[in-house]
Amino acid sequence: MPFVNIGGKEVELDEDGFMVDPEAWTEDCAKYFSEGEGIPEMTEDHWKVIFYLRDYYKQFQIAPMIRKLCKETGCSLKYIYELFPTGPAKGSCKLAGLPKPTGCV
Amino acid sequence: MPEVNGLKMPAKASEKEMKNIHIDPVPDDQKVEVALQHLDEMRKKFRSFVMAMESCVKCGACAENCHTYLGTKDPNNIPTNRAELIRKIYKRYFTLEGRWFGKLVGAEDLTLDVLEQWYSYFYQCNECRRCAMSCPFGIDTCEVTFVGRQILHWLGMVPKLHANVGAAMEKAGNHTGLPKPSLIDTLEFLSEEIQEEFGVEVNFPVDKPDSDILYIPSSADFLLNPYTLMGAGMFFTYIGANWTIPSTVAEAGNFGLLFDQRFTQRHNVTRLLDASQKLGIKKIVWGECGHGWRAAKMYIPTLADRPVKWPIVHLHDETSYYVNTNQLKLDPGKNNHPTTLHDPCNYGRACGMTKQLRDVLSACVTDFREMTPNQEKNFCCGGGSAILFDDPEMYDLRIKFSAKKAEQVRATGVGANGDGYLCAPCSICKAQLYPMVEEHKLGVEVKGLIDLLGKALVWK
Amino acid sequence: MSYFILQILPYLTMVIFTFGLLYRLGRWAGSRIVHNITLSPFPQSNTQALGILGAELIFFRSLFNFDRPLWIGAWLMHIALFSVIGGHVVGIYFLGRQFVYLGMSASLSENMSAVLGTSMGLLMLAGLLYLLIRRFTIAKVKEVTGPSDYLHLVLLLTIVVIGNIMRLWEHDLGISYAPVKDYVTHLVMLQPVPMNHEVLTKPLFVLHLLFVQILLMIFPFSKLMHVFGMFAERWIINRVYKEPAPGLPNVDVAAARAAGAGLPSGDGAA
Repeated sequence: MPFVNIGGKEVELDEDGFMVDPEAWTEDCAKYFSEGEGIPEMTEDHWKVIFYLRDYYKQFQIAPMIRKLCKETGCSLKYIYELFPTGPAKGSCKLAGLPKPTGCV
Repeated sequence: MPEVNGLKMPAKASEKEMKNIHIDPVPDDQKVEVALQHLDEMRKKFRSFVMAMESCVKCGACAENCHTYLGTKDPNNIPTNRAELIRKIYKRYFTLEGRWFGKLVGAEDLTLDVLEQWYSYFYQCNECRRCAMSCPFGIDTCEVTFVGRQILHWLGMVPKLHANVGAAMEKAGNHTGLPKPSLIDTLEFLSEEIQEEFGVEVNFPVDKPDSDILYIPSSADFLLNPYTLMGAGMFFTYIGANWTIPSTVAEAGNFGLLFDQRFTQRHNVTRLLDASQKLGIKKIVWGECGHGWRAAKMYIPTLADRPVKWPIVHLHDETSYYVNTNQLKLDPGKNNHPTTLHDPCNYGRACGMTKQLRDVLSACVTDFREMTPNQEKNFCCGGGSAILFDDPEMYDLRIKFSAKKAEQVRATGVGANGDGYLCAPCSICKAQLYPMVEEHKLGVEVKGLIDLLGKALVWK
Repeated sequence: MSYFILQILPYLTMVIFTFGLLYRLGRWAGSRIVHNITLSPFPQSNTQALGILGAELIFFRSLFNFDRPLWIGAWLMHIALFSVIGGHVVGIYFLGRQFVYLGMSASLSENMSAVLGTSMGLLMLAGLLYLLIRRFTIAKVKEVTGPSDYLHLVLLLTIVVIGNIMRLWEHDLGISYAPVKDYVTHLVMLQPVPMNHEVLTKPLFVLHLLFVQILLMIFPFSKLMHVFGMFAERWIINRVYKEPAPGLPNVDVAAARAAGAGLPSGDGAA
């Protein structure tokens, strides 16, 4: 599995470029991933979504229902797609250091 | 995207991921030998497979009836040619004509390259069985894909997606990997949403002992399809049912059917039967999931390791019964959108569920338009057998596989004003169609069927 | 050579054909129907299942529904094939006088036999050519075709062309029913025909029989097994399946609605 150097730390990624260990996440990781996900600049709303995802993950070890993510962050699904062009599952989860969602998603 | 000999293929599970699903990958230098051993076992066991190997006349009728060939024009996606990838090996090792006449009858030695070819093309098959229906003899190429994927699994060649789902099922009791607290959190959230939007009180009982009905939702509903869960909750509440969702098997799907019909598939079944016994239920009701419904309805009788005393029915066997007996008050005006119905292949061709969907849908919407062909003749959405891979090249294939579906939806005209509904009561269909309706610019929103029923219910 | 083809080879052919067939069918029987893979809509009785089989068998229903151009060629070819095989049996046995039993005169029956035989032979030729041309010209069909698929057609075409020549130029190149019946009778009784027997002097007849025997010998080891495969496959995918009864346990919708299930407290229905 590949390692990348993010902010001086070696971070392990899986084949899809998701972090293997969500605990190793730092804000630098989100910035690093944003480049590969077509996000020109990290805004406050990006961070709001990312921190919500991380909080939820810390509590439940899984990403929240997308509807809940939208509701709790006040971002419409359309707006989430504007923030994260590859979508909530791939884009925002990757930036937040969550594992790639699996199953019929 | 890994590419071997120019073949398109999804990323394979790592050795560690394979060990999570109890497989030690076979080293390359032993793969051919081990594959042949397994092929020998399979041909001696499955008559459906032997028939596909030995009685095809190569008439080519299946070509035009397979959406993967129509979408890609790749000759190996013609069902009989897909089967030929194994048939050429079968002939070489297990038939006299293949051993004596070789190339003349299309026999070929098994090599690692051929195994990569299997991996590529058996994971381009949606296992939709349209070829079985159109074949003059009824040869079911889906059975060949099953055998191919099973052998590949034993060799340690499984897509990451499928392997991780298998592992999540064993760990969490569902494909998405949702632990019980997150199930409950999501369901409580949905209760609030229902209260807010519909003004009714719906609780989602989890693991409630002495329930009459065990409802098996698709776990994807917990991430992606809120109205599917909400609709089911509202339906059960509306009819006053004593129901529950089991946290140990909050999963209507069964990826075992798709890549490992032994341990992985049986594991889900065992979980289901354990939960049914523990919760003292009387009837099992299956949620909106196509392949999972086939796995439940048609495979549990032969996979269960004990007597199954609970009738297993689909949610829409029941909704249609209550619709047809006029026990539900429904207002189609609440779904005032031109709507068409995509018949999930596993409902239409494997489980005999087509009329039920129509009975319910036409009672829930104002403007229902059939697409053509429909019911058992319908084309797959292109996501069948969960080939929902999202790396760019595989995603591009998914767009091609859904080309026929897009053509069908467009022909109904439901999306002409951009406010159409495409009802697709299956989690894989939904996961495939959510992005595909955008890719093909169809002007429709993808909905589950119970979603629409939930919205149409008149409570007072 | 003629002697070998007509007097010895037939026994070898029958042995290979019979044991080859038993070997193949035995292999099929050795495997099992492991899971229920019935195709829906499900037949509700064995009569209905038989109806599906019959429609496929007699009318090639699936082909008719899903590949009409192929159906035209395939169906005509097979109908002609079965007529020709049937024609050989009754024609040779009754010496062309089978239609006497339908009230025709002997000579009319012989003419009828000739006309039917010729037309079915030509129809089969046309059908086979159609199927062959299809394999060359339609891209998707070309892509599924291997060398043996062409060879099967060529072999059948050879047999049919020779048969048709013997029919069309009966007096010069063909043979009449009587010596053939005599030959078949000898063959069945395990007795050789005399060396000066007429069948041994007709090269086209010998050739016709040679190719037919080749066909029978490769039959059990080729896709021709589809004749039997069809029954085996339909037995798997067209079986009766009965749905469990709908209706949920302890559910009384009217009572639930009357009690206002789901409605916020204090907002119950009357």
